[in-house]
Amino acid sequence: MSKELIRLRNICMAFDDEPVLNNINLYINDKEFLTLLGPSGCGKTTTLRMIGGFATPTSGDVLFDGVRINDVPPHQRQINTVFQKYALFPHLNVFENIAFGLRMQRRPDPAAPGKKVKIPEEEIRERVLEMLEIISLKGFEHRRPDALSGGQQQRVAIARALVNRPKVLLLDEPLGALDLKLRKDMQIELKRIQQQVGITFIYVTHDQEEALTMSDTIVVMDRGSIQQIGTPEDIYNEPKNAFVADFIGESNIIDGVMIQDHLVQMYGRQFPCLDGGFEPNEPVDVVIRPEDIDIVPVEQGQLTGTVTSVTFKGMQYDIIVDFKGFKWLIQTTDHSPEGARIGIKIDPDGIHVMKKSQYSGMFGDYSSFSDEYDELDDASLALDEEESGDEE
Amino acid sequence: MKRRNSTMSRVFTALVFLFLYAPIVLLIIFSFNKGNSNTVWTGFSLDWYKSLFHNRIIMRSVYTTLLVSLLATVIATFAGTFAAIGFYSLRRRHRAVLNTVNSIPMMNADIVTGVAMCLFFVAFFSLWGGFAVWFNSVQHIVTLPTRLTLGFGTLLIAHVTFNIPYVILSVGPKLRQMDKNLVDAAQDLGCTWMQAFWKVILPEIKPGITSGALTAFTMSVDDFIISYFTAGSASSTLAMTIYGMTKKRVTPEINAISTLLFVTVLALLVVVNLREAQLERTGRQETRRPRSQRLILFFDSPRGKLFRRGTAGALAAAFLVVVVFLTSATNAQPTVNVCSWGEYIDEDLITQFEEETGIMVNYQTADSNETLYSLLKNGGADYDVIVPSDYMISQLIEEDMLEELDYSQIPNYALISDRFKGLTYDPEERYTVPYAWGTVGIIYNTTMVEEPITSWSAMFDGQYAGNVLMFRNSRDAMATALLYLGYSVNTTDEAELREAFQLLKDAKNRGVYQSFVMDEIFQKLEGGNAAVGAYYAGDYLTMLENNEDLAFVVPEEGSNWFMDAMCVLKGAPHFDEAMAWINFIASTEANLKNMDYLWYASPNQEALEQYPAYYEELYEEELDQETYGIIAASQEVLDRCEAYLVLPANIRTLYNDLWTELGI
Repeated sequence: MSKELIRLRNICMAFDDEPVLNNINLYINDKEFLTLLGPSGCGKTTTLRMIGGFATPTSGDVLFDGVRINDVPPHQRQINTVFQKYALFPHLNVFENIAFGLRMQRRPDPAAPGKKVKIPEEEIRERVLEMLEIISLKGFEHRRPDALSGGQQQRVAIARALVNRPKVLLLDEPLGALDLKLRKDMQIELKRIQQQVGITFIYVTHDQEEALTMSDTIVVMDRGSIQQIGTPEDIYNEPKNAFVADFIGESNIIDGVMIQDHLVQMYGRQFPCLDGGFEPNEPVDVVIRPEDIDIVPVEQGQLTGTVTSVTFKGMQYDIIVDFKGFKWLIQTTDHSPEGARIGIKIDPDGIHVMKKSQYSGMFGDYSSFSDEYDELDDASLALDEEESGDEE
Repeated sequence: MKRRNSTMSRVFTALVFLFLYAPIVLLIIFSFNKGNSNTVWTGFSLDWYKSLFHNRIIMRSVYTTLLVSLLATVIATFAGTFAAIGFYSLRRRHRAVLNTVNSIPMMNADIVTGVAMCLFFVAFFSLWGGFAVWFNSVQHIVTLPTRLTLGFGTLLIAHVTFNIPYVILSVGPKLRQMDKNLVDAAQDLGCTWMQAFWKVILPEIKPGITSGALTAFTMSVDDFIISYFTAGSASSTLAMTIYGMTKKRVTPEINAISTLLFVTVLALLVVVNLREAQLERTGRQETRRPRSQRLILFFDSPRGKLFRRGTAGALAAAFLVVVVFLTSATNAQPTVNVCSWGEYIDEDLITQFEEETGIMVNYQTADSNETLYSLLKNGGADYDVIVPSDYMISQLIEEDMLEELDYSQIPNYALISDRFKGLTYDPEERYTVPYAWGTVGIIYNTTMVEEPITSWSAMFDGQYAGNVLMFRNSRDAMATALLYLGYSVNTTDEAELREAFQLLKDAKNRGVYQSFVMDEIFQKLEGGNAAVGAYYAGDYLTMLENNEDLAFVVPEEGSNWFMDAMCVLKGAPHFDEAMAWINFIASTEANLKNMDYLWYASPNQEALEQYPAYYEELYEEELDQETYGIIAASQEVLDRCEAYLVLPANIRTLYNDLWTELGI
């Protein structure tokens, strides 16, 4: 990664005395693909809007190339945005939508210094057609936005932003309205476009898979605070707290006590691990990913439990196992029938120990696990997003 | 069973539509009637439309209506659109509250809005008056007008006010349908907020703005009640003029103007609805429109842009021209504001006066002395010249509401017969110039009575019970009873008044009266719907033209004779113009014309004497002596008659109380 482009310094923000962002500190490098990830209401969209100039922090600084831009209006920032649901101008055709930004631009006149001139029509045409090429929508110039499919509209929205050659492109849940298949294609497409134009992308999503697929850096946010910043691998393998562990992928989070370095105690049993640097006998949260657990015969198991449910997922089975009233999710390729007693074994590198946080005890128990719950959760998340967006 | 049901429902539907549309269809048909009847078809003609366009009062009110509607529409559309945007950017809870507040004026009874605005304006004007006097006294650079009155300005403000909610109502949904990120997107792409408004918001909400503007325009053209209370004296909208005209009878001229109004509003509504339907369709079938697609291409091209700007510019210029034209047509020249009774002047006189002097006459009407009085008292009127009756003049002088005239500017005053100078209402000849006079009597239908009527008893004894029409104003109604009982019409004896009232009340309870009426009497007597009614002599002659069976008598007990005279209101803004007008009307020539038109007697001695000859020359037939006797009652008849005097305040209260007790 190259030099730093954007820095958020001690950003706080409140709507009507209700804090929305708490002391956000973040830097974004040039040409980086950075994702703000978090559940609805976590402040990720507000952070994005602040960078775009649509919101002003209550305190703290937004720096661009080292210059404070808190009070610079959106139209004077070298930043463009792809909005939720695209926000294409319905009364303009594809060509005019993409050309919109160029037509607004004024640049110094080479012939008469101090004067500003419009971009010549010829150049506009050239650049718009070039963008149409990049988004593979040549020949669609005269279509109206409502005559395009969702994916096509999406690409026009990206072209409309990129044609201005911004230094940073902001994307606010741009794939939210697409179906799953198209979403996967667009993820790859977006990454390709980013590499082709070679600029910074700041991407907002609540979909952890999307974040893991595309990002160079992921910023996990919740309740207006940054929970963790890191590469996708870091975030997944070394979650900082129960929230991150739960939000990124599936996690069993168990109360434990750190006996000494490399030795953690759960269920009264001691497990070797790789973590260290805790006080002796410090209470901790222990994260165990469902795929890091091996099922073994009862007598060989470090722990034993009863299978309470089995779901076939194609590549693996999701089984829920009851260990002394605490239910774990285990992903395995071996089938164990419901009601079976099983033993488990966890390698030291499968155990990740975290300090206790405000999120301890809130996540990681699969007692109420069901597929339906998951989907319901998603739906209510999406609804919440609409609400809060409107209020802003 | 089912079948019968469906037949019934069809019949029911047909009846509903019949009731809804038959009256309008009838009105439209009879606007093309050759004759002036609303019941008998005598052949097709466009005469009524022609006379419509020559009727200056109507044309003036058409100007006013168009001007106020156009201006109000533009202002309300502008204000309403921005208000809607303001609402839209509010939080949802506040927006819901404001939307409710916004829709209250639309639900509210117009009459409440109208009265409230009238009160508000009058209250504001009195505060302003105080402020302006103070302001003018502390500095001399700017002189503020101290006396504001209801007029075109207040009418316009009222129209703007009641139009704004309609604009907000039609723009609001368009904004809510709009993707709320569009504005952000435009700003993101380099627009300031204002540029974003022009380039993105406006095209998106344009359909809402257009239909809002059309609705507002329709509402403005259509409005009567609110205009009635806020227009004051100097301006009159078309609806108000039509209302004024219907007082006497519904002439085919009213049919014609109503037809035009109906067609205009209908056309506007059709345009609004077609637009909405079309927008819905185009919204769905955008891709299947190759021809309009090409048009869009043209409009999107730079050349099209010029064309587009040109069109917009031309429209704006056209609008400005219309406004300037209409404004200058109503404002630029010296003016005199006259208020009189309906159909109480030969309108040629107004044209003639304007041509001779270059002074515009703003001619308005009131329907009774009492209405005029309350208009003046409310401070809503800025008339220069009014033409009240004798007893009302006394009252106005008593309350110091009249200005002394400058008789040196009215040489024609010398032509007024001495008989009509220095009468009790203006004994020192300081305030008035007589306009016309006449007598009150009984009008009856000779085919519906047994023998000629000679006494007021016909109004009370029940011989024609159910066919008698009584005055619907306390002074005239009580006068008939007082005359019958042999008392003075100006009595202040409470016992006499109570006796007269009892007579009136008993007759009412016995069902003698078909109804209490004023100008509705024209239709009733002309159409043979009533046998007997008390009214004014001049009006009898007008009725006689439409029904030859009618007769008139000044009863043997005597009657009331009245004089209407021109006066100028205190502080009239156009005093000199008012003098010119009064002098012009007092001339012999004007009096002859008016006498011929009104069938009321002239106070001008020469005119009185010359009228029979004038009539003969004009119609090439001799004037019937009897008719002339009715127009201008002989001195012998006048001696039997008594003029109204202003009554003391306690008696006026008694009149009011008794009238209320009668329960009309």
